Amino acid sequence: MKKSALWVTLIGFVGLITGLVGLNIGLGNTPVLGLDLKGGLSVIYATTEPADAEQLIIVRDLMRGQLESFGIAEPDVRVEGENIIVDLPGVSDQEAAFEALQVSGIVTLRPVIQCQAGVVTPVDSVPTVSDGSDPSSQSDPTATTPSVTTPSATTPGTTEEGALGAPAKSVRPLGFANPARVTPSTSVPSDTSPDTSVAGPPAPDTTVPVATPAAPASDQTILPYPGAGQSCLVGVSGGTGEVFVQGSASAAIDQRTGQWVVNVDLRSDGQAVWNSLAQICYSGTPECPSRQLAIVLDDVIQSAPVVQTPDFPGSVQISGSFDETEVRSLARVLNRGAFPVPVEQQRVETVSATAGKDSLNAAIISGLIGVAVMLAFMIAYYRRLSVVILAGLVVWGMTVFSLAVFVSRATNYALTLAGVTGIIVAVGVTVDTYVVFFERLKDEVRHGRSMRNAAPRSFKATWRTILSADLISLMASMILFALSVGSVKGFALYLGLTTICDLLVFYFFTRPAVYLLADTKWFDDDKRPSTVRTPAGVSS
Amino acid sequence: MSDIASIERPEIAKSGMGRLFEGQTAIDFVGRRKIGAAISAVLIVATVISLFAQGLNLGIDFEGGVSWDVPATNGFTVDDASAILIENGLSTEGARLQKRSSDSGDFIKVQVGNQTERVGAELRQEFAAAAGVPVDEVNVNLVSSSWGSEITSKALRALLVFLAVVAIFISLRFEWRMALAAIIAMVHDVLISVGIYSIFQFIVTPPTVIAFLTILGYSLYDTIVVFDRVKENEARFATQKPPYDDILNVSMNQVLMRSINTSFSSVVPVISLLLIGAGVMGQSTLAEFAMALLIGMLTGAYSSIFVAAPLLGILKKRDKNWSSRKIDRAVGEVLRDMVIGGVIGSRRTRAAAAGLADSTVAHGVAPSRLDEVGQAKVALSHPPRPRKKKRR
Repeated sequence: MKKSALWVTLIGFVGLITGLVGLNIGLGNTPVLGLDLKGGLSVIYATTEPADAEQLIIVRDLMRGQLESFGIAEPDVRVEGENIIVDLPGVSDQEAAFEALQVSGIVTLRPVIQCQAGVVTPVDSVPTVSDGSDPSSQSDPTATTPSVTTPSATTPGTTEEGALGAPAKSVRPLGFANPARVTPSTSVPSDTSPDTSVAGPPAPDTTVPVATPAAPASDQTILPYPGAGQSCLVGVSGGTGEVFVQGSASAAIDQRTGQWVVNVDLRSDGQAVWNSLAQICYSGTPECPSRQLAIVLDDVIQSAPVVQTPDFPGSVQISGSFDETEVRSLARVLNRGAFPVPVEQQRVETVSATAGKDSLNAAIISGLIGVAVMLAFMIAYYRRLSVVILAGLVVWGMTVFSLAVFVSRATNYALTLAGVTGIIVAVGVTVDTYVVFFERLKDEVRHGRSMRNAAPRSFKATWRTILSADLISLMASMILFALSVGSVKGFALYLGLTTICDLLVFYFFTRPAVYLLADTKWFDDDKRPSTVRTPAGVSS
Repeated sequence: MSDIASIERPEIAKSGMGRLFEGQTAIDFVGRRKIGAAISAVLIVATVISLFAQGLNLGIDFEGGVSWDVPATNGFTVDDASAILIENGLSTEGARLQKRSSDSGDFIKVQVGNQTERVGAELRQEFAAAAGVPVDEVNVNLVSSSWGSEITSKALRALLVFLAVVAIFISLRFEWRMALAAIIAMVHDVLISVGIYSIFQFIVTPPTVIAFLTILGYSLYDTIVVFDRVKENEARFATQKPPYDDILNVSMNQVLMRSINTSFSSVVPVISLLLIGAGVMGQSTLAEFAMALLIGMLTGAYSSIFVAAPLLGILKKRDKNWSSRKIDRAVGEVLRDMVIGGVIGSRRTRAAAAGLADSTVAHGVAPSRLDEVGQAKVALSHPPRPRKKKRR
């Protein structure tokens, strides 16, 4: 190879890498650190039943929306294989995030047969569910009956997160003011017939709980209703949270009553399901004698409003004497109920910011010490040749840095502790490239070749070896990357990256550098002792 | 004659280290394979016994459970932690409570069996209150019991796919016997690493699994470097028809220094992670990772020479191309000459040499074999041009 071409390769490559590093430093870009280095919260979810990619994406988007509604900016939610991974690095309020990620299941709607106060339960009254479908068009039917819905078209919901911005529509002012809690009830205003919206006969305002629930039939179960301090015997699930429009539930303040309510829209195909349930409960059939419809999440009743109307045209409003937190949590439950498949937390991990920093520091410091010791040995052993190792490692380090910046920013795979350790370990593998090369070079020189002659010969033989060995590493990392989850995936990515860097640096830096150096007197003298007695660079 | 030889043959270093540096070793690896086999057999038997007797010490990621890291500030002790567990109706029976230290101070690690995330969150607050630290300072880890089996099955699937791909790759690039030997050596390494984890009851965590997977790569990487040299020497010595053992011995002696150097350069940073990162700076995650890597690197270096290569020799001997070569392998100085010269004497001269070296005692050192073995060639670094088989 011509000398000039070697120079071009060498300078071109080093220039390119230096330029990239300079650019990144200039822009202040550093690799995105994983949460085990930065502190934060990570949760891995799995679906409890088989789900297709589309469903997973829906769940992912819902989760992201939900986290954002909790005020967590740019949550990292992604689908990996059959899992959904939520990473919240550096999240400032871990408690809130933890809370946001707590619930995981799917919402079911079950008619309530009977409720009984739990041990020391304050008896509560019943919230109402009313139809909030079409706020603006509603004529103002009413304010007469307590359970009537009232459209207040002019005033939008006041909550920040009230995505609907919909005015609170109807409320069922409860007859009694004192109880802290109220059981919900459902009422429907229908735009068309305002009168009918008065529909609901007043819910059993007084204490709902009756005597002991009858022994549950096979399809009936007793579920806790912590919100009202009761447990209820409920019938078989008549529908799921899928009847609601995804993410449509919102908390709002009813302008008329000043009470917190939850508005949620019905999906066109969910409307029939909801209405048939409403019908059953509204008419107090044996399946639903209490006229309450329970919204159940993870076998816990979130709310069991009394149904105020059999027919809900497009949306539902749940009212009662909630406070803001309760309303918001109910809205969240309804939104979450729109998950197409139930999910389950598989792994939750929190790392405090200080612990993350400690790990990073420990890895870097101990790694650098280890590499320094190893390099000292290399310098002692290879003498002048070690110049190439040192320079090569610097170039390799810069290449890895640039790629790490790029990859961690372009993808979701932040640099984790496993990745950092992987990189430190990869230093050993990279040095091996030089060892294989230089041992070969020594052989050739021992056999009486000049450095100049030996360098290309050894390179060719070594390149073959390194290529085979590195290809195996590369395959290992690709297979790991494709088939694993979570931190293993990140590790595999960085293992693959460092392997590619190794090959790049070996071909574009080490090769021209050694060829050019082999031509110099300084190098050749060192490498070719007159008697071939001394191995490369070890002066006897 | 001997005059030529003494000029062409470099002076042999006196000390073992010297010979190693000069690439003048003549270790009869093949002859010592029984030692390797014995060591490996003992380790594998110990592994199997230990796995059956006590199994692996699996971390919560595999068994499911909740763990909390509570900073041991303000006099928070293991006893306080267990009191909190009891107060909350959790059995301390299967719970693990440990005091650990790290750079930023001591902390108590509390680990219990499967619990709901609710418990995880509630106790986190209680621990934080008891230790007098902000809630965010208490780290929680919660793993469902199905998660462990899921990642294990995923890792196994990855392993099987990897084995298949590697087998195909090595078979194409080298040959199937090498693929088989390399994979057996790799399985050997993983088995022994797992065995060490079982025997010493080191805790198995996801970083450990990552490290085990890395070991696979290392083990193969090492073996490939050795086999690559074997393959090269096979071609180089093709015309001289030496026994396969010779090729193995020569190749392994030639790559010995490289193996030692490489193992050293890979192991030193890992030891540093273990001693400084985990020991001095108290980062237990690093220990989990580094320990498995260290074990894997050492077994990997060992197995590429003492498991993969002898296996290859055995496989090759079953091949009739090689089994027909009845000549005993060269040892001692003859081997040394081959290693240094990169040349193996022809069959005729080899037979003569073997006669001199007392072929019945393979380990004997032949006294003056240099001239007989056609050592004029020793000085040549490249093999003689192969005789043309056909006319063009």
